[in-house]
Amino acid sequence: MNNVLTIAFYSLRRSFWIILGWGIPLMLLGIITIPFYDLVAENEKQLRPVLNTLKPLLKSFIGGDEAEQVFTPEGFIALRYFAFLPVVMGIFGSVYGSGLLAGDEEKGILDFLMAHPISRAQMFWGRLVAFFISLTFIIGLGWLGLWLGVLKAESMIFSPLKLILPYISVFAVTWLFACLSLAFSMVMPSRSAAAMFSGIIVLAGYIITTLSKAIKGLEAWALFSPITYFQGNAMVGLELDLLMKLLIASSLFIFFARRGFGSRDIRVAGDGGWKIPLLDPR
Amino acid sequence: MSDQNLPAIYAKDLIKSYGSFRALKGIDLQVHSGEIFGFLGPNGAGKTTAIRCMLDMIRRDSGAIEIFGKDPQIDSVAVRDLCGYLPGELRLDENASVKSILNYLRRLRQGGNDCSENILQLASRLDLSLESKIKNLSKGNKQKLGIIAAFMHNPKLLLLDEPTSGLDPLVQQTVLELVKEAKQSGATIFFSSHVLAEVQSVADRVAIIKNGEIVEVGVTSSLLSKRSWRAKIKFGSDDSGRKAMIEALKDTKVLKVSDDGRIYDIGIEGDVDSFIKCIAAFEVDYLEINKPNLEEIFLSYYGDYNS
Repeated sequence: MNNVLTIAFYSLRRSFWIILGWGIPLMLLGIITIPFYDLVAENEKQLRPVLNTLKPLLKSFIGGDEAEQVFTPEGFIALRYFAFLPVVMGIFGSVYGSGLLAGDEEKGILDFLMAHPISRAQMFWGRLVAFFISLTFIIGLGWLGLWLGVLKAESMIFSPLKLILPYISVFAVTWLFACLSLAFSMVMPSRSAAAMFSGIIVLAGYIITTLSKAIKGLEAWALFSPITYFQGNAMVGLELDLLMKLLIASSLFIFFARRGFGSRDIRVAGDGGWKIPLLDPR
Repeated sequence: MSDQNLPAIYAKDLIKSYGSFRALKGIDLQVHSGEIFGFLGPNGAGKTTAIRCMLDMIRRDSGAIEIFGKDPQIDSVAVRDLCGYLPGELRLDENASVKSILNYLRRLRQGGNDCSENILQLASRLDLSLESKIKNLSKGNKQKLGIIAAFMHNPKLLLLDEPTSGLDPLVQQTVLELVKEAKQSGATIFFSSHVLAEVQSVADRVAIIKNGEIVEVGVTSSLLSKRSWRAKIKFGSDDSGRKAMIEALKDTKVLKVSDDGRIYDIGIEGDVDSFIKCIAAFEVDYLEINKPNLEEIFLSYYGDYNS
């Protein structure tokens, strides 16, 4: 346990600039975006007819049938602020998760660290704990920005606690993609391949979930998209079953990643272990 | 069996493959506790693969390996606790400082004040500033950091992969002194090197690995002594008769004769007395007789590799 904390603390220190680099823009996004609600509320009469004339496919990208909720404070936050956040944070999770172990492995740093009296399990959990805390800080900065934005908007009154509900869902989606990417990085030939595949799933999931609001045939496919389980409108009520589905899937990916890391070779650049077996010309 | 009686490293029929490439083809190796063991071989021969198997960074396909009686695959943390490791190519977190990395590694080893004092002493001996950032260090200084990390906790077994690589001659000497001091305090040192002269100067025993197989293993001094003498001789004048005379000597073989018939390379198994007496009958301009050094022995195994 002691070593897990040592690893987590050191990894967290290394993540300092990542936390600021992602957390501050997320905070600014809230501060800048949310006060625009005052303008939307003022111009509701002019905007509502425009919204009604949009074709269903186009309308699906701004919330589908729920698009008209943009005129309510909760709806505005869900549609204008949280709608793209799972994609942005999903990409972040994919990049970070793939590099959690494979990044240092490719650089050859892990090889040196693992020569010390630490088990693979300790290294794995230490890094994962560090990511959990980093993500909490980033989400925390985002939530702070959202709250400051709400304070700045004249026609919005929400308690800080209520604002945290959609962010719990953002956390769960980001966590899921990070765990997925981590699991990929344990079986794929490189960190970048793992990040790329996970990133493709983020984008494909977003498109399928969005279009499924207009194209009925995609509804079944949308069940496999993690974005479908994201609750940008959690301020009106967080559905725990959706949250649990994301967390259960994440736990499965963690299980596979842990097994992968525990049973395979620690690779170093030029080691010869990076080739996909079927494509290995040797 | 007590720890002292257990071999520091024991490997039996150790096999490791990367895909279809077999890096280790059944290595048998026994390193005694308290000895300095040199592990020789060119790049790609399997040295690093063997060391990484010992630390359970890679998993063997078959065979057995034990470090002081412990299987690294079963008891990896205990094995790593006994070892200090310097990788052949040391990579570190570039944004960290030397001090923060060493403190991190010390904490991973649960190292206390002794460890901290050792770090300071080693840094002083190796002339390394602890305040420097890794990204500002030269290759040699990074290597010094690796050496400190390997030695700081006084391990029972040191696994050093090219320990003097990138170091200037003065620091190389300091590192060899550290190796000898570690041996005196009871540690076992297993090290690979391309600088065969330094292996020859410190190693009690050596093994030569070629294409994943151990081709020679033995006490360094006897490995050198059992080799034949090599004589290079330049005669004062041409005389075709002397070649037959030399070849007629027991255990003596003419390896090469120059075009003008004056310069001979000769191999002598056993005693050189009869050879000296034989050439005393001729006019000699130059004579050099010596035993091959470790480098020549090494190269004799790697004739194909070098050509």
